[in-house]
Amino acid sequence: MLSQSDINKVSVRADLDCKVGKDPMDSSLAVSVNNVTVSYRRYHQPASSLKESVIRIFKRRKTPRYSQFNALEDVSFSVKKGEIFAIIGSNGCGKSTLLKVLAGVLTPSAGKISACGSIASLIELGAGFDSELTAIENIFLHAALHRKPKKAVESKISKIIDFAELHDFADTPVKYYSSGMYARLGFAVAIDIDPDILLVDEILAVGDDRFQEKCKQAFRDFILRGKTIIWVTHNMGFVAEQAHRALLLQKGRVLYMGDPKEAVKLYLDPSYQTALA
Amino acid sequence: MPRLLIDFFAQAYSYRHYLVQSVRRDLAKKYKRSSLGYVWTMLHPLAMMLIMSFVMSHVVRVQMKDYAVFFLAAVLPWNYFNSTSMMSLNSIRANAKLFSQIPIPKYLFILSISASNLVNFLLALVPLVLVMAITGKEISPTILFFPFLLLPLYIITISVAMLLAVSNIFFEDTLHLAEVGMQAMYFLLPIIYPPSMIPDRVSNILSLNPLFFQIQSIRNIFYLGEMPNLFFFFLNLGVALVVLFFALKIFKRAEDKLLYFI
Repeated sequence: MLSQSDINKVSVRADLDCKVGKDPMDSSLAVSVNNVTVSYRRYHQPASSLKESVIRIFKRRKTPRYSQFNALEDVSFSVKKGEIFAIIGSNGCGKSTLLKVLAGVLTPSAGKISACGSIASLIELGAGFDSELTAIENIFLHAALHRKPKKAVESKISKIIDFAELHDFADTPVKYYSSGMYARLGFAVAIDIDPDILLVDEILAVGDDRFQEKCKQAFRDFILRGKTIIWVTHNMGFVAEQAHRALLLQKGRVLYMGDPKEAVKLYLDPSYQTALA
Repeated sequence: MPRLLIDFFAQAYSYRHYLVQSVRRDLAKKYKRSSLGYVWTMLHPLAMMLIMSFVMSHVVRVQMKDYAVFFLAAVLPWNYFNSTSMMSLNSIRANAKLFSQIPIPKYLFILSISASNLVNFLLALVPLVLVMAITGKEISPTILFFPFLLLPLYIITISVAMLLAVSNIFFEDTLHLAEVGMQAMYFLLPIIYPPSMIPDRVSNILSLNPLFFQIQSIRNIFYLGEMPNLFFFFLNLGVALVVLFFALKIFKRAEDKLLYFI
């Protein structure tokens, strides 16, 4: 397990406290989400220009500028250490917002999240890459974004390049990579951050079957080391087979949490699909 | 007030590995790509200097001693301020994808831009010293005070850069306003002319610009070989810290809302 000081090094979030001793959090839990609400403002006239703002001041805001829209409403759940936790639901039900809140990049309008350990996300592979740089330079840069010094990564370079199968292209700027190579590097770099909790957003379409098998193996290893994966997906077969528990969202609310097979059944049920229409 | 500033500097320090690497990357990119490489960093201010010297002596016909040094010593800090602010303007928008994945401070790229520009600024001092040597201008040891004078300039530059970057998220017009504003400042600051040419009543207003005394004191250590005035130094530093404080306050308030906009 990581010590608290390690956790502080990796995570930036001030609210990321793992007070196992003083009991706000059960020691078997990786993440606990309590009554989280995220309200977006839907602007009627978005991307205002200065002219519009000036006009609006003179109009004295007779019309409201925005309406409130809850992407997540009073969501509570907890994820245990060492489990694959699936989050499912139709498009626009709040899955991605939930991942952003968990990743610590979006502050919820209400509610609290506690997490025990470092969190990293595999949401969009290679989002932080600089296309002019080579694979190796990007690996260093990405680690530095996670506040890891160059020294800490040097020993792992060959392992990452191995995993991504990019031996012949390690010194090629990534802009010349095929999309498959790019995604493979993105995956290898992200998994190398080795957080305690990994957030995954539907990315197992990386590379060919053989590489996908390798990714799955990497995830299995990850779980076997007592770490946690929170997975957003539309792949119901995967949820039913691999996930330990599942959360089904509907219009930003928790519809069901528990047995993955049951969650998939509810998701596929016509009543869930028609409730959205 | 000190809390916010201390937190800011502590957090910036925790990203030192990133900052060092990104500066190296920026320099490598800049100097690897073009055939003249580092020479451009020198040629650019020298070209500006030649143009201004020509305009001043042959068009406007103001005779000034060592105008080349006079101009260069002021335009280099100005260029640093100007290019950092303008390059930072889009930095939050352009990295929206990254911000929605990794919880990094939104000002991180502003810090890295300002650091890269700082290195360029330092490299551009080489042509300044060369021009001083060639024109036979005495190189006074007062130029050793330069790093101290850099501190308030650095602070005010990142503050303005942060404000512009935040504003750019909420107002599309920021770029155009900033361009006009920078152009106005270039001519309203004593860069191409000495402050003695400014009439008194205007001078009172123009010197309210925090950069007014900063650019003056940087120029004076090179051009006049004058010791920096301690009072003005602390005044500049104090003003810069206050500006940074307010910039951080505005930045923090906007930070949580940013992701809803970009």
